[in-house]
This record gives sequence, structure tokens and C-alpha cells, in this order.
Amino acid sequence: MKTFFGGFLALLVMLTLLAWRMIPPPEGGTRITLTWVTDENPVRKQQVALFNKLNPDLYLVIDPGNNDQSKVIVQSLAGVGPDIFDSWGPASLEAFVRSGIAWDVTDQLKSKGVNIPKIIWPVGLQSCVFQDRVYGAPCNVNGDAIWFNKDMFDEANIPYPKSGWTWDQFIQTAQKFTVKDPSGRVTRFGVYMDWNAWEPVVRNFGGSLYSAQGTRCTLDTPMAIEGLTLMHDLMYKYNVTPNPVQESALATVGGWGSGGITYLGGRRVAMAPGGRWWLNLLRTQQKESIARGEKPLRLGVVEFPKARVQTSGGGARCALINKNSPRREAALRFLEYLAGDDYNNLLNDVADAIAPVQRLCYTDHFLKNPAYPAEDYNEIWRSAADHSTPGGYTPFARGTDLAAITQQTDLVKSNLKSPALAAKVATEEVNRRIQIKIKRTPVLAELYQAALAKESQNASKLGAAR
Amino acid sequence: MGFLLPNFLGFLLFTAGPVIFTFGAAFTNWDLQKLEPFRFTGLENFITLFGESQFWLYLVNTLYFLLGMPMAIMGSLFAAVLLNQKLKGIVVYRTLLYLPSVTSGVAVMIMWKALYNPDFGPVNAIMESVVHALGFAHFKGPAWLQSTQNVLSLGIEHVGIDPKQWGLGAREAIIFMGIWAAVGGGNMLLYLAALGNVPKELTEAAELDGAKPWKVFWSVTWPQLAPTTFFIIVMSFIGGLQGGFEQARVMTNGGPGGTTTTLSYYIYNKAFTEYQMGYASAVSLVLFAIILGVTAMNWKFGNQEVSY
Repeated sequence: MKTFFGGFLALLVMLTLLAWRMIPPPEGGTRITLTWVTDENPVRKQQVALFNKLNPDLYLVIDPGNNDQSKVIVQSLAGVGPDIFDSWGPASLEAFVRSGIAWDVTDQLKSKGVNIPKIIWPVGLQSCVFQDRVYGAPCNVNGDAIWFNKDMFDEANIPYPKSGWTWDQFIQTAQKFTVKDPSGRVTRFGVYMDWNAWEPVVRNFGGSLYSAQGTRCTLDTPMAIEGLTLMHDLMYKYNVTPNPVQESALATVGGWGSGGITYLGGRRVAMAPGGRWWLNLLRTQQKESIARGEKPLRLGVVEFPKARVQTSGGGARCALINKNSPRREAALRFLEYLAGDDYNNLLNDVADAIAPVQRLCYTDHFLKNPAYPAEDYNEIWRSAADHSTPGGYTPFARGTDLAAITQQTDLVKSNLKSPALAAKVATEEVNRRIQIKIKRTPVLAELYQAALAKESQNASKLGAAR
Repeated sequence: MGFLLPNFLGFLLFTAGPVIFTFGAAFTNWDLQKLEPFRFTGLENFITLFGESQFWLYLVNTLYFLLGMPMAIMGSLFAAVLLNQKLKGIVVYRTLLYLPSVTSGVAVMIMWKALYNPDFGPVNAIMESVVHALGFAHFKGPAWLQSTQNVLSLGIEHVGIDPKQWGLGAREAIIFMGIWAAVGGGNMLLYLAALGNVPKELTEAAELDGAKPWKVFWSVTWPQLAPTTFFIIVMSFIGGLQGGFEQARVMTNGGPGGTTTTLSYYIYNKAFTEYQMGYASAVSLVLFAIILGVTAMNWKFGNQEVSY
């Protein structure tokens, strides 16, 4: 028996050695390999290829498999994290900074003459600047607008919507495209309104999720409730966008770009709020239609309707550097690349949202790209980026707010609770959690008091100005 | 000893070590988003935990999912008895019944998600056609994974009864799927092995005494299966109390309204979404205590019924 197990062990050791010998050499050869944990957007390959071409001593590879905030934090703390990773907003940035894995590159970028806060769209700031320190550079910037299918509008003889429209006009237009079968089942919706858009809509109505410094949840204000009610009514009163049950019937196979893009591309909805990055897939669909000898999808874009504030959802995806990476100095060149002309022009061309460097969106080439003459709406994307605002955020609930809010908004989404009641319960619960957190964390309590003072100071200034 | 050493070291390093560490971490403010220095906080995490309504709701959800356990066990026994017959091609039947256990869990869950589609899913299509045929023309199938309703009328936000919540919803959808997967799984194999070990002379003696097949099963076979049943019940309780994570992650994200969030999914969210490792460890410890308590009770009371 001993001989058997001994022989088996020897065999396993030999196989291990053999597998080790057969490991292929790194793709980049002798170049320094940098790993970037990011999503698997189809245009990412071009962005990586350009970086590798411009930096012959570096070799950038993407790792979409680990593109999850908790994975990045845990792996980086364990010493096996990526060199570069993405931050999606203020909450995500704070999580990376507080966990000690985001490298403060303020001085490094300054010494290289890169002034991120000065050159990028303001909506992108919160994803890479925390407490006045710069931790990364935006990979792209997005402001949502409303996509619409021009063919469907033409066929229905309905004029294209124009910027400055109201929510009433939006609903009326959507109603014209909503079709029901004899049994009353909706077979086509006027619009696909992703439920996650509820917060931008709340801001559009003049409400907000949190007070300016995040000291309290303000979802129960009348303006915020109005916005949440509109989102609810689009599903259950006007029936112009699918509710969760109807959406599960619409559901596509999933994967990158599923959802609104697919519904719009497949003429299952006439309008859908989304970003310029949708073109990644929509352009492919157009090319495929042409290859099949069919008429390609004709698209238009219009800004979000306005209730009280002309705004829509927006933000930036920023690349941060792992503080513990042995290659962090080399990774710094990637941030320079993101702030440079080559990358930004490429980004605009491949339509991965819009270039984070603002001035590079104010070119004739951006407005009228000869390769895509039908895309006559790039001015709208600029305007949307200008008007868009990032999601509300409080540093004082320490992440416990999300579950409380989602639980309540889930009930509104499923028509199980009125928006007003859900907003009230969510607000009370989040504010209760904030108080628990600051009571138990003295450091947080100090920050909270400072934030309260700032809010009160701003309120006094506003009062005096009036 | 030499052969045991690698396994033993692995156990110490990757099982016993983390378990002991979790015991300690539960009494700290360990947070991956460091705002304060790491320190011991005594029972603070537990006091917070027991004061959170969410914890109790998720505990109720966890216990609710155990409702499927008796049916799953009975189903396994029934399948094992059927597969214990000397039939032509029995291996094929055994393989078919065991298929759900060797299929990727995620794939199975995605398939069930499609089956439960309220408008176009076959589950509702069959249900509606049957009920319509019975004369209830306006019957509409449940919204399944989108519904908070449940057969015990449990409330959504507070532990208690809410008559408006009576019906079939996400929790039942997950329970039915669990029963389907469990009937032909490991429990069936255990019963199959146990049935093979029932002494032939006992059943033959009963038959010679004129006992009918059901009487033979109930008075001879079933008592002989008691040790296996006891083992299956204990393991099902342990598995059930730890379960619900994959279903919540793949099918519902813990919703709607938190109705499919179990303690294991709550632990995951606290640890890897909110990064409160100390708090998550405290929940783990409570779950451990519950499982230990239930197992001890099973052992104390269930063991008395087992004849060897």
C-alpha cells in the first residue's frame, strides 16, 4: 500500500513539474505586464492595443473576471491584486481609499503636468478625487440621454422629440408607441425605463437622495417623492414601460449590453434612456443589418425631459492604481495615457461614452465623425455630460444605506408600497443607521459634525443671498 | 500518520484556522474600509445584530426554506424505493434522476428562472391551462420570483402575519426548485444503499406471514431505514440553515423586498458589499450556534427513535 501511495505521490509531483514547464511565456515577452481589472466592453481591446503600441516597454492586459469591488479589495489586501482597477463613483472610490489599496497619485500626476480636476468633466470628479486628493484618472465620462428609434417615429408619423421637453410630453409620446394585444397584454412598450434611473429622476424633480454633505437621507421630501412616483406611474399608471413581471418576459439572454440596448435595437421599445456607450453594440447591430442587406437602425438622441432641473444620471469610470502593486510606477503611465489626446480621441471614435478630457469633446471631428455620418447627435451627449449629476452618497452610513433603500424601492417597483410611504420608511431607516454609525465611530462623528457645520454654513449663505 | 499529515495541515490551515479566527473577529470592529483602528468591541456586534429587524426577517426566511425539507426527503425515499426494483434499464432511470445533482447549479437556476416566467414560463402556462379548464377563466398564475407572497402569509418588513401576503411567491419558487433538485440527489443514493442493506430474511418473513407490500414497507423496511433517515434529517437541517446563497445570488438578488435573503446571503452582503467583517463574523457565529442547537436537538430527540 505504501508503494502504491508513494508512487501516486511521485506521479502527482511529476505532473505538477510537467504542467509548470508547459506554462506559456507571458504574451508581452520581456515587457512589464500590467493587469487592469475592468469590464469586457468590446472596444476595450482597441484602447489596450493603443496603450501597448505607445509604450513598447509595457504590456497591458485586461482581467474582466475579477471585475468586482469586493474581489479587488480582498485580493489587493492579500497581495495578489491587479495593478489597475476601476472605480465607479464616490462610494466605490471611498471603499478603495479607506481599505488602503488606492494609491494617492496627486503629487505624481502633478509632477508630470497632469491636472485631472482641471481637465475632466465635473461629473467625473467624484469617481477619482476624494477629500481633495487625486486617486486616478477617468477612463470615460457619461451623461444619460434618451435614445429613440427614428424609423418607429417616422412610421408612426410622430415628430422627433426635442430637448427641453417635459415629462408629460415624454409620457404622451411613449403612450403612442405602447401596443397591447387583444388580451390586454402589452406587446411593445413606448419606453424602457431602467428602474435604476429612479435616482436621476428624483434629482430631475428637484429632490435628492442625501443632503449636500450626506448628513441625512432626504428621500422623503415632496420633490423626491414626486420623482419616485413618476417612476412608479410609468409602469403601473401609464403602462408605458415594463414592470418587473413584464420585463422578465422581455428578458434577453444576458451578458454585456443586455437590457435596454437590446430592446431598443430589437424595436421592442421606441425610446430608452442610456449613454453614448450604447453605440458599442448598436453600431455592431447596424453593421450586421447592412451585411444582411437590411436597412440599418436609425437612431436619434434627445436630452432627458425636464421637471425642475435639467439633469440626468451620469458619472465616470476611473482607473485607480493598486497602492501595493510592485509595478505602480509603471502603472502611472497608464493614467497619463488616459489623460492624453491619443486615448481621448480614440475613445470618442469608438464611442465608449465620451472622452473624459473636456476640451477633446469640443472638436469638429467629435461633432461630425466622417466614419459615422448618421450620428448627428453628439452635441446632445456633450450637453448631457454637462447637465448630468452623479448619484447621491453619504459617507456616514458606511454602506449600510444601500440595502435599506433598495428594500423599499424594490417594493415600489413591485407595486407593493406607495412611493411616499416607501420613501418615508427608507429615509427613517437610513437616518437611523447614520446615527448608529456615528454614535459607534468617534472618527465618523467628528466628520459628521464638520459636515453638519458646512451644511448649516451653506444654508446661511443661501439665506443671506436671498 | 504520514499520510494524514497533509490533510490534517490543510484542515488546520483552511478550516479550523478560519473558524477560530471568525470566533475572535466577531468581537471586533474589523472593517475592510478602515476608519478606526482595529479593536475589540465585546458584545457590540451581537447587540446590534439582535436589535436589527433585518436579522430576524432573514432568520425567518432561512427557516421558511426548511419547509421544503420533509417533501424533499420523502421524495428521495420514494425515488429510492422505485429505483430499488429489479427493472430493465434501471441504471438509466437512476442516472436520469441523479442528473440535477451533476448539473451546474447556476445553469439549473437560470433554467428555473425561465420556467417561472409569469407571462411566458411553462409553469404558469400549465397551471393556468389546468385551472382555466376547471372553470376559473380569470385565474392568473403567480408572479413567482417577482412576488413577496407566501403560503404562511408572512409580512415583508416585520416578522409577523400579513393576510395580504398569502399566495405563492419567490420563496415557494425556490423551495419547489430545491425539492426538484433534492429528490434525485445524494439522499436518494443514501436511501438506495440503505434499502440494499435491509435483510432479505426480514421482508421475506413478513411476506410469508401474509403482510401486504405497504405493511412490509411500513413495519419492516422503514424502521430499518431509521439510521439513514436520521442522518439525512440532520444533514438536511445543517445544509438548509446554511443554504439560500446561490439562489439569492443567481435568481433574485435576495429580493423582492428581501424575501429570499437568507442568513448566508446576509453574511455575504455584510462582509463583501459593506466590508463589515467583524459584524459578518458575528452573524456567522449566531448561525453556527443555531445550527449547533438544532443538530443537538435532533441528536437528543431524533436519536431516541432510531433502532439499530
